[in-house]
Amino acid sequence: MLLSYLLLSGVTTGALYALVALGLVVVNKATGILNFSQGELFMFSGFIAWSLHVQLGLGYLPSFLGTVLAGFALGLTIDRVAFRPVKSSDVIAIVLATVGISFVLKGAARIIWGGKSDYLSFPPITSPDPIVVGPVLIIPQQIVAFLGAVAIMLGFAAFFRYSRLGKMMQATADNKKAATLVGIRTDRIYTLAFGTGAAVAAAAAVLAAPLTLLYPDMGFSFFIKGFAAAVLGGLASLPGAVLGGFLVGIVEALAGGYIHSSVMEVSAFIMIMIVLIVRPTGLLSFYQARRV
Amino acid sequence: MLEVRHLKVSYGLTQVLHDVSFDVPDGKIVAMLGGNGSGKTTLLNTLTGLVKPAGGSVMFENAECAGLSAYDLVRRGIVQVPQGRDVWPSMSVEDNLFLGAVTRHDRAEIRKDQANVLELFPKLMPKLRRAAGSLSGGEQQMVAIGRALMARPRYLLMDEPSAGLAPAIVSDMVDTILALNERGLTILLVEQNIGVAAAVAEHAHVLQNGEIAFSGPAAGLLDDPAVLRSYLGR
Repeated sequence: MLLSYLLLSGVTTGALYALVALGLVVVNKATGILNFSQGELFMFSGFIAWSLHVQLGLGYLPSFLGTVLAGFALGLTIDRVAFRPVKSSDVIAIVLATVGISFVLKGAARIIWGGKSDYLSFPPITSPDPIVVGPVLIIPQQIVAFLGAVAIMLGFAAFFRYSRLGKMMQATADNKKAATLVGIRTDRIYTLAFGTGAAVAAAAAVLAAPLTLLYPDMGFSFFIKGFAAAVLGGLASLPGAVLGGFLVGIVEALAGGYIHSSVMEVSAFIMIMIVLIVRPTGLLSFYQARRV
Repeated sequence: MLEVRHLKVSYGLTQVLHDVSFDVPDGKIVAMLGGNGSGKTTLLNTLTGLVKPAGGSVMFENAECAGLSAYDLVRRGIVQVPQGRDVWPSMSVEDNLFLGAVTRHDRAEIRKDQANVLELFPKLMPKLRRAAGSLSGGEQQMVAIGRALMARPRYLLMDEPSAGLAPAIVSDMVDTILALNERGLTILLVEQNIGVAAAVAEHAHVLQNGEIAFSGPAAGLLDDPAVLRSYLGR
């Protein structure tokens, strides 16, 4: 019973980490930088969802859509405010700009939602009572979050595989010069990458909100887990980020269940270290090397 | 007609092109020769919108084009085939070709143009679904040229298309350039390979240290021992 619970829990949180990682990878693939405000985008979006759902009384689905749109708009703003003005500068300047944005978002969340160490709870969207199916303990809320995350991942994969815009993003990430030469307006692709990355973080936040408490400092923890997942996948691989997210979630849950709850937070760092030592190009690098 | 007048390009304080002037008449193949560091690729990148000029003029069909974006230039019909192929390695050959037409929206015509590209390069037909990075150098060059053709260019600016190819493939490349010209494409060919330039071009220029040092009919220029010795290092 414990193992099944831990596995389900790990897969669910892993799916959410995978979404955070996907946002990081999309921006990194297109622009070559790591968006350190990804965790705070997740946090800020969670609060927006809370406002839409709890304060304005919108249903869960409209709140979800509204938050994803708001997240996309936030991503576009970050592109305009933090990336474009410094994009010709050293990469350190660009990364620091995203760190600055993370502080701005955290401060704004405290001002708007009166954080000050307060925790806001998002109402459950399903019955909080667990369902026991044979030896498996199922929490309906986790199933909703997991299925939602998987649906977003599939949509993401289809976007890159079949849509013209997705292919333009991939081409820009593969070779910016070639993309420019065929007439792809790469500045717009960067904007779209920031918007998409933030929208995915927002979607993850709305799915995670009923499972957790909302507080202004929650972003860093999710960023580290998403970053660990992205590193496991090699930082530039979308399937790798998904695999990494599930691995981080499952290892974290098992470590917390079988070793000690304090190991949960550390497990992501340990995984980053192991992967960087054993396979620094990511878990799927062997597969990619064979493909090319 | 593409008319380049007094073109100047600088990278910071370093001036790379000094007062470069030449014409590329409609329907012709013009070669731009020069050694490493002579400014050939900078010239091509400036003409295709990757580099902003510091001065001078680029007139294309009586309209000023200097400083326009690559997007605007592709839409006007000036397209570059970059040095080293520069295909998108993880994307399929088909997607590479498809994205060559990214500035267009006429789907039926795009499909027709893809069929034309595959007619020109039948070797690509069975490899449409393969990752472009898995193809040989010659096949990648075909993808790069095919991708440029998908934009329906009127002027094709080719940056060292023979670089890194086996001699047999270079010969095929010469045939391809001539075939493209016969189809009505005007070509500016930037080359280090003097044999390729001599085989296809009617007119040639030699670029040295960012300036045009010699201009003339390709055959005569390339037979001039002084030019070969002084400016091409032979």
